[in-house]
Amino acid sequence: MIRLENIHKRFGHVEVLKGIDAEVAHGEVVCLIGASGSGKSTLLRCINGLESHDQGQITVDGQKVDRKQSSIHDIRTAVTMVFQRFNLFPHRTALENVIEGPIYVRGEPRREAEEHGRALLDRMGLAAKADSYPAALSGGQQQRVAIARALAMRPKAILFDEPTSALDPELVGEVLAAMRDLANEGMTMLVVTHEMGFAREVGDRVLFMDGGLIVEEGPAERVLTDPQHDRTRDFLRRVLNR
Amino acid sequence: MPQFLNNAGQYLPILLDGVVITISLTMAALVISTLLGLVWALMRYSGIGPLVLISKTIVNTVRGIPILVQLFYIYFVLPELGIELTAFQAGAIGLGIAYSCYMAENFRAGLEAIDKGQIEAAQSIGMKWALMMRRVILPQALRTVLPPYGNTMIMLLKDTSQASVITVAELTMKGKLVASSTFDNMTVYTLVALLYLALSIPLILLAGYLERRFGTR
Repeated sequence: MIRLENIHKRFGHVEVLKGIDAEVAHGEVVCLIGASGSGKSTLLRCINGLESHDQGQITVDGQKVDRKQSSIHDIRTAVTMVFQRFNLFPHRTALENVIEGPIYVRGEPRREAEEHGRALLDRMGLAAKADSYPAALSGGQQQRVAIARALAMRPKAILFDEPTSALDPELVGEVLAAMRDLANEGMTMLVVTHEMGFAREVGDRVLFMDGGLIVEEGPAERVLTDPQHDRTRDFLRRVLNR
Repeated sequence: MPQFLNNAGQYLPILLDGVVITISLTMAALVISTLLGLVWALMRYSGIGPLVLISKTIVNTVRGIPILVQLFYIYFVLPELGIELTAFQAGAIGLGIAYSCYMAENFRAGLEAIDKGQIEAAQSIGMKWALMMRRVILPQALRTVLPPYGNTMIMLLKDTSQASVITVAELTMKGKLVASSTFDNMTVYTLVALLYLALSIPLILLAGYLERRFGTR
């Protein structure tokens, strides 16, 4: 459903993406791994047009991703995003964060949006926190609200940009558990992560990026336990022997 | 002291006429400067090249010219171009434009203080620019902007006295008239000073109220 063909992206003189081809099928969970600066986040941000790409074509369900066209707004509601630093709206409660998009972007009636929003918060184990402001929530709780906010748009896929990297270690588990549940329910997910355990257990496929290219890809289990490429092996050795 | 009170009682009705004009002028200029300031700030924030340039040029030009000169220009030069304004209109427009630049800089500071992640979050749920500004950015900017906004309001109130030079019969002008006909400078200007102070107190309270109302959370 998400297809990337020969994606190039440069920031000034630095080419951060050097021709990426990739595909994410419906219901698939794809984990994007690689060292910092390898272009993972940039690639993810190109898919919903938070970044523009300089060359190549990205399509979501056949619709071309182009920041300059108004269709970008529809693509963003179809492919929502969860950020490393949560980016909840600090002036709105957890529930208000979740129903903001449904009411003001999708035009759902408030009652319906609230019902759905409460159900989503409940699903994230946050029913009791619906009326709390983000500042009163832990990082793990904030990230689960952010996931509920992304789900509230009834997206076809969700992009996760290092969703647990800003969390205290003891809070990582609750967010990964919520993501695992989503995956089990068949949500299409593209996840930039440093959590190799999660990638191996939940990911259908793993893409390993290095220097702006996808160096290796394949079934999660295979890539993570039996990498074929030297650079993948190097990276995994460094990450796993921390 | 009884002499002072007696004289004060005589001058006060005249000065209060001026107070009414001062309040009207402040209100009118406040509305104009807030709306224009918001326009300049949003143009600058939009990141669209030509709009940014226009906004920057206006703000820096207007900021660089004394308010007195701007008032003279509007009141004495515009009629030569066929635009006739009453003294009050010229004062309100002149102060409104002059202050719109200070307002714009206040607003811009508030807008730029907002984490870029907020913009991305709003975009990622499909919000278009106007909706994002209305629902996400401006409500947050409001909190940072209120304290300097209150400060600018009080400065504006005091600067309405400059409109006396283009014959707006506001408080300072009335004071000058009374003083020059009675030579009782001490009483008149003490009253004028106290009246300005009294006028600024409601503004200080209003600013405080707004900060409590919108500033928390």
